[in-house]
Amino acid sequence: MPVAASAIYFLNLRGDVLINRTYRDDVGGNMVDAFRTHIMQTKELGNCPVRQIGGCSFVYMRISNVYIVIVVSSNANVACGFKFVVEAVALFKSYFGGAFDEDAIRNNFVLIYELLDEIMDFGYPQNLSPEILKLYITQEGVRSPFSSKPKDKPVPNATLQVTGAVGWRREGLSYKKNEVFLDIVESVNLLMSSKGNVLRCDVTGKVLMKCFLSGMPDLKLGLNDKIGLEKESEMKSRPAKSGKTIELDDVTFHQCVNLTRFNSEKTVSFVPPDGEFELMKYRITEGVNLPFRVLPTIKELGRTRMEVNVKVKSVFGAKMFALGVVVKIPVPKQTAKTNFQVTTGRAKYNPSIDCLVWKIRKFPGQTESTLSAEIELISTMGEKKSWTRPPIQMEFQVPMFTASGLRVRFLKVWEKSGYNTVEWVRYITKAGSYEIRC
Amino acid sequence: MTGMRGLSVFISDIRNCQNKEAERLRVDKELGNIRTCFKNEKVLTPYKKKKYVWKMLYIHMLGYDVDFGHMEAVSLISAPKYPEKQVGYIVTSCLLNENHDFLRLAINTVRNDIIGRNETFQCLALTLVGNIGGRDFAESLAPDVQKLLISSSCRPLVRKKAALCLLRLFRKNPDAINADGWADRMAQLLDERDLGVLTSSTSLLVSLVSNNHEAYSSCLPKCVKILERLARNQDVPQEYTYYGIPSPWLQVKAMRALQYFPTIEDPSTRKSLFEVLQRILMGTDVVKNVNKNNASHAVLFEALSLVMHLDAEKEMMSQCVALLGKFISVREPNIRYLGLENMTRMLMVTDVQDIIKKHQSQIITSLKDPDISIRRRALDLLYGMCDVSNAKDIVEELLQYLSTAEFSMREELSLKAAILAEKFAPDLSWYVDVILQLIDKAGDFVSDDIWFRVVQFVTNNEDLQPYAASKAREYLDKTAIHETMVKVSAYILGEYGHLLARQPGCSASELFNILHEKLPRVSTPTIPILLSTYAKLLMHAQPPDPELEKKIWAVFKKYESCIDVEIQQRAVEYFELSKKGAAFMDVLAEMPKFPERQSSLIKKAEEVEDTADQSAIKLRAQQQPSNALVLADPQPVSGAPPPLKVPSVSGSTQNPESVARSLPQPNGTPSPDLLSDLLGPLAIEASPGDVSTEQHGPIGAEGVPEEVGGSAIVPVEEQTNTVEVIGNIAERFHALCLKDSGVLYEDPYIQIGIKAEWRGHQGRLVLFLGNKNTSPLTSVQTLILPPAHLRLELSPVPDTIPPRAQVQSPLEVMNIRPSRDVAVLDFSYMFGTKLVSAKLRIPATLNKFLQPIQLTSEEFFPQWRSLSGPPLKLQEVVRGVRPLALPEMATLFNSFRVTICPGLDPNPNNLVASSTFYSESTGAMICLARIETDPADRTQLRLTVGSGDPTLTFELKEFIKEQLITIPMGSRALVPAPTPAPPVAQPLSPAALADDPGALLAGLL
Repeated sequence: MPVAASAIYFLNLRGDVLINRTYRDDVGGNMVDAFRTHIMQTKELGNCPVRQIGGCSFVYMRISNVYIVIVVSSNANVACGFKFVVEAVALFKSYFGGAFDEDAIRNNFVLIYELLDEIMDFGYPQNLSPEILKLYITQEGVRSPFSSKPKDKPVPNATLQVTGAVGWRREGLSYKKNEVFLDIVESVNLLMSSKGNVLRCDVTGKVLMKCFLSGMPDLKLGLNDKIGLEKESEMKSRPAKSGKTIELDDVTFHQCVNLTRFNSEKTVSFVPPDGEFELMKYRITEGVNLPFRVLPTIKELGRTRMEVNVKVKSVFGAKMFALGVVVKIPVPKQTAKTNFQVTTGRAKYNPSIDCLVWKIRKFPGQTESTLSAEIELISTMGEKKSWTRPPIQMEFQVPMFTASGLRVRFLKVWEKSGYNTVEWVRYITKAGSYEIRC
Repeated sequence: MTGMRGLSVFISDIRNCQNKEAERLRVDKELGNIRTCFKNEKVLTPYKKKKYVWKMLYIHMLGYDVDFGHMEAVSLISAPKYPEKQVGYIVTSCLLNENHDFLRLAINTVRNDIIGRNETFQCLALTLVGNIGGRDFAESLAPDVQKLLISSSCRPLVRKKAALCLLRLFRKNPDAINADGWADRMAQLLDERDLGVLTSSTSLLVSLVSNNHEAYSSCLPKCVKILERLARNQDVPQEYTYYGIPSPWLQVKAMRALQYFPTIEDPSTRKSLFEVLQRILMGTDVVKNVNKNNASHAVLFEALSLVMHLDAEKEMMSQCVALLGKFISVREPNIRYLGLENMTRMLMVTDVQDIIKKHQSQIITSLKDPDISIRRRALDLLYGMCDVSNAKDIVEELLQYLSTAEFSMREELSLKAAILAEKFAPDLSWYVDVILQLIDKAGDFVSDDIWFRVVQFVTNNEDLQPYAASKAREYLDKTAIHETMVKVSAYILGEYGHLLARQPGCSASELFNILHEKLPRVSTPTIPILLSTYAKLLMHAQPPDPELEKKIWAVFKKYESCIDVEIQQRAVEYFELSKKGAAFMDVLAEMPKFPERQSSLIKKAEEVEDTADQSAIKLRAQQQPSNALVLADPQPVSGAPPPLKVPSVSGSTQNPESVARSLPQPNGTPSPDLLSDLLGPLAIEASPGDVSTEQHGPIGAEGVPEEVGGSAIVPVEEQTNTVEVIGNIAERFHALCLKDSGVLYEDPYIQIGIKAEWRGHQGRLVLFLGNKNTSPLTSVQTLILPPAHLRLELSPVPDTIPPRAQVQSPLEVMNIRPSRDVAVLDFSYMFGTKLVSAKLRIPATLNKFLQPIQLTSEEFFPQWRSLSGPPLKLQEVVRGVRPLALPEMATLFNSFRVTICPGLDPNPNNLVASSTFYSESTGAMICLARIETDPADRTQLRLTVGSGDPTLTFELKEFIKEQLITIPMGSRALVPAPTPAPPVAQPLSPAALADDPGALLAGLL
C-alpha cells in the first residue's frame, strides 16, 4: 500500500496551525508557511485540492472552518489521502459528538493527538473505525487497578477485536428489543439547459443502517437491482418478475459485507456492526426520475429592468410531498428593487448571494407553483458588462421517494437464538447540485 | 457624523467579521440595501442619502468595487447643509477622477460654491477642484479661482487653497492663465505678508515660470525679496519656523523659481541675492538632529544649484566646494551621497576642478564605502574630475579598486578607467600598461572596444610597438591569463613580435610555443586571431625556420576541417598562402595605420550616462546628442574581392563596408587589411586620410557652379532647376513603392537612399544620406510632414555630412489607419553657399502595410460572401486602364503585395487576389479583391474590393485603381503637403514607364 501522508496539519482559516502531526521526517518544518503563501493566498484555494510546491504535494480540504492539509513528499496515493481525511473527520465527529470545527479541535487537543497516533503509522492509514477505537481510546477516566471496587464490566479484549475475523462487531451484545433501521438516501444531480434538455443527470445513493441487534446476527438484503434479480431468478430457475429493475453503477460496500457471497450469489449478506453505519453506496446514471421540472423565463427589458418568471412542477406521486424546497434564482449584481408574486411559499432578494430566494415549506406532488418577479436595476458607472446568467439552483427533500426507483425487497435477519426483529425502512431523495440554466 | 447609527453599526459589523468571506457577505448585503434605497427616491431623505454615501465610501475604502451611486454623491454637493455637502465633496473626489463625465454635472454647483460667500464651502470646492479638476474645470473655473486668489476680502486659508487649485488647473490646461494679465497680479501676490499664501503662490509661480519665464520677469526681484526676508528671519511667525529655519519650503521654492530665469540683470538684485546665498552657505552645517539636517540641506542644495545656475564668482564657488568637501567627510551616508552628487553637478558647470581636486583623497576613500550608491557617485565624480594632471593617480586608484569592486560595478569601472587612460594619457606606453593591467584584472568586463582601441594606438604609433610587444610577451608568462589578454597579445605579437627577435625568449618559434599553449583553452572567436598570428610569425621568421614551419602547417592542417567556417577558411587560406613565398609576404604585410577616429569608448560612455536627474542646470548643459551614425565611405559593394587576395571575405557578413573600405588603401598595399573585419566594429567613422587633407581646400575647387550662391532661400521649383536632379524623383518614388530599398533622390552632391523593413503596421526606414563630394555638406536639415494616418519619428540628422561619408538616419513609421496619403520629407542642405532643398515623398504607401497571404477557395469564398455590398465591398468599372496581359497584371498585383490566388475564379479572364492589411485601428485585416477583365477591350475592367473596414476598402480600391490607370504621374495629385512634389525634371514617356514594374526597376539601376 502506498504512503498516504508524511504529515498532517489542521489549520484555521487564517492559516494558523491548530494541531499537527508528522508521520515521516521527509518533509521539513516550514510546510505551513509554504501552504499559506502559495495556496491560501492565491485564488486557486477553492478549486485545486492538490498542489505541488517544491517537491512536496499538498493535499487539502476544508471542513467547516478548518483546513486539513496532508503533506507528502513521495509518490503518494492521493485518493487514499482524501479518504483518510474523510474517515478521520468522521471519527473525530463521533468522538466529539457532532461538530468538527476549530473550537472542537481546541477543546480536544489531547484526544486528537491520541487518535492521530493510532489511526496512522509511518504514513500508512490504520484502523479508523470508531467502534473499535472507542474500545481502547476512551474519554472516561481510567480506574486505578488498586481500587477496592470490583469491576462491573469485563474489559474487552482489544487485540482480538483488532485482529479478529469480525473486527467490527463486539460479541455479547444483547438488546431487549431487536430493531433494524434502514434508510435509502439519494441525492439527485442535474444540469439542465435553458431549453429543457438534460445535460447531466445522475443519482448518488447511500444505504444507511442502524442496528440494535443482539448476538452475532447474519443479515441479508434484497434490492430490486438488476444483477441481484437476474441471479435470483437464475438460481430459482424461474423467469424474473416483470417489475422495474435498477442498474446500479459503482457499488461500494461496507467492509462487513461478505464479498465472496456477493460475487457468487449476488446477494448482500453481512454481519452488521453495532449502531449506525453506511452499508453501501451506489450511483445511477440511467432512468432517473426527476422530482421537479423548472421552467424559467428571464427577460432583460433595457438596462434597468428585468422580468423573471419561474414555474416549478413536481412530478412525483400525488400522495407524496417535498419538504424544504428552495429555489435560488440568480439576478445581476446591480439589482436594486424587487417585486414578487408567488403562488405558494415566500420569496426574498438576498443581496449577499445575488439571488432571489424562493422558499416553499411543503410542496405536494403533481402540482405546480410559479414565481413572477419584476426587478429594477441601478445604473452603474462602469461599462455595461453583460450579465453571465448563472444557473438556477434548487434544494429539496422528498421523503419516501427514490429518484432511482430503488426498493428494498427484503431484509432477513438470522441469528442463532432466532429472535424476532422489527425492520424499519425509509426512503428519502435530496437535491445534490440541481441546476437549471436560464 | 453624530447620529448616524446605521453607519457605525455597519462599521462595527465589518470589524467583527471573522474572515474575509463573512466581510464580503456583509458588504454585499449592505450594497443591496443601498441600491434598494437609492432606487426608492420617495423615501430617500438627505439624511439617508448622506448615510448611505458614507457607507459607500467606507466600502470603497475596504477595496470593494462600488460602481453605482455616483449620481447621489454628486447630487449631495448641491445640498445646502454642511454635513451633506462635505460628504458629497469627499466622496466625489474619492470615487471619481477627472475623466468621468459625471463631473461635468458638478461644475456649476462647484462654481456656485466658489463664488459664494461661505468660506467653508469655498474651501471644500477648491479642494475638490485641486484634487480632481480636469480640463473642463480649468476652462470654466480658472477666472473665479484667480479672483479668489487676489481678493483682499478672503481669509488666507481660502487663498492658499485657491493658489494650489489654480496650480492644478494650470497644469491641466496651460491656457487657463493668461500670462499678460496675470503676471502683474502674480507679482503683487508675492508681496503677501502671510507665509502660507506665499508658499502656495510660489508653487504656482514655479509652475508658471517653468512654462514662460519672460512674462513673469517682474516676479524675479520679488522672489529675491522673499528670500531676503526669510534669510534675515524678519516677520516670520513661529508656526512657519521649522527647527529654527524660517520656512524652508518657501526658501526652496523661491530658489527653484529663480532657476528658471536665465540670468539676473539688475545688479542690486543680484547683489542682494548673493548676500542671501552667502548667508545660506555660511549658515548651514551638519548637526545631530536628522530633521533639521534634512530641512537645512534641502535649502542648501537648492542654493547650490542656484549658485551654479547663476555662474557666481569663483570665490563663492570655492566656498560651495569647501562646504561639499565637509559633507563628503561626514559619516552619515545620506549627506555624503548628496555631497558627492552635488560635486559632480558642480563639475559640469564651472571651472572648480582645481578646488575639487583638493578633496581627491577623500573621494577616493568614498570609493571604498560600504554603500554602493555612494561608490557609484564617487566613481562618477572621479571620472568627471579627472584631467591630465591627476589622471595617473585616479586611473591607478581605479585599477586598484577594480580587483576589489563588486561585479555589478566592474564593467562601468573598467570602461571609465579605459576612457580616462585614453583621454588623459601622459604618454602612450602608460596607456598600454593601464589597459593591459585592466584586461588582466577584469578581463570579463573589458569589452572588445577597449582592446581594439589599444591595437589602434599601437598600430598608429611606431615607437610604441616594441614596448607593447614586450609587455604582451610578459603577460603571456603568467599561468592563467584571460582570453581577452590572449587575443590582444596574440595580435600584438603577430604584428610586432619580430621587433623583439633579439631579446631572449622572443624568437618566432618561442613565441609560437607560448601562444600555442593557450590555444586549447580559448573559445572559437579567439582561434582565428591565433591562426593569423601564426601566419604572421611564420612570415616574420627570419631566417626561415623549417621546424616552425612544420609545426604551424600542422596546426593549419588540423583546422582545415574545423566546423567553424571562419577558422576553416583561415586555416586553408594561410596554408596555401604560406607556400606562395612573395605573395605571402605581400598579403601579410604589416597592418597600415588606422585613420583617426573618435573613440568608440567615449561614445559608449555617453550612451551609458544616466539622464535621470534633470535639474534646471543639467537641462541647460545638455546638448542634443545626435542618434545618427556617421558611416564610412559608402563604396558600393559591387562584387566579392578575389578570395585569396583578401582573406577576410569570410568576415564580410559581419560588416560589408569594412571590405569596401579596405579597397582604397592610402598606402597602396594590395589589400593587407587582414584584421579589418575583426576591427570592424571600430570603424564608426572613417574618412581616408588623403581626402581629409583636401577637406580644407577651397570649396569652389571642385568646379561647383555658384549661380545661386547669393540667394539663401529659393523656391523649390527653381531649386530643382538649378541643381540638376539625377534621375526622375517621381519615378524613383514609384519604384520604391513596390520595393523596399533603392535610391530616393540624387543630385550631383548628395544621394539619398532608403532601406525599409515592414512588420505589420510598423515600419522602420533608414535614410542614407551620402555626400558624393569631397567637401562637406552643411546645414543639413530634414523635416517630416506626416499625414494624419501615419505616426513618423525621424532621428535627428547631423548638421554636417563629412566629405564622402554617409549618414544614416532611422525613421520609425506607424500606420494608424488606412489612407493613401503620403508623408513628405522636407530636405535641405547647403553646399558651399548654395542652398538646395527638395520635398520628397516617402514611400510609406498603403501597400507597405499589406502582407501577402495566399488563400484557398475554402477560405476565400466564405469571407468573400460575408462581405456583403457597400461600404465593406465596393465595385467599380475602371476605364482607361493601361493594357496589360493577365500574367503581367498578376505580377503587378503581387509586387504591391496583393497576392493573386490562381485557380480560384472559374473564368480565366478574372483574377482573384487577397492580402492582409495592418494598422493600429484595424489590426490585421484580410482584404480581398477581384478583377474581371474584358478580353476584347483590355483598357477597361471591373474591380471589386472587399475588407472588414469601409475606409480600408475604399482606400485600397482607389490605390489599386491608381496602379492600374494609364497616366500614373498626372493622376497622383494626392500629396498632402502644401506644395506638391517637385515637378519631373526629365519626364519619361508615361507609356514606356507604365509598361511593367520590372521596367520601372530597371530604369533605376
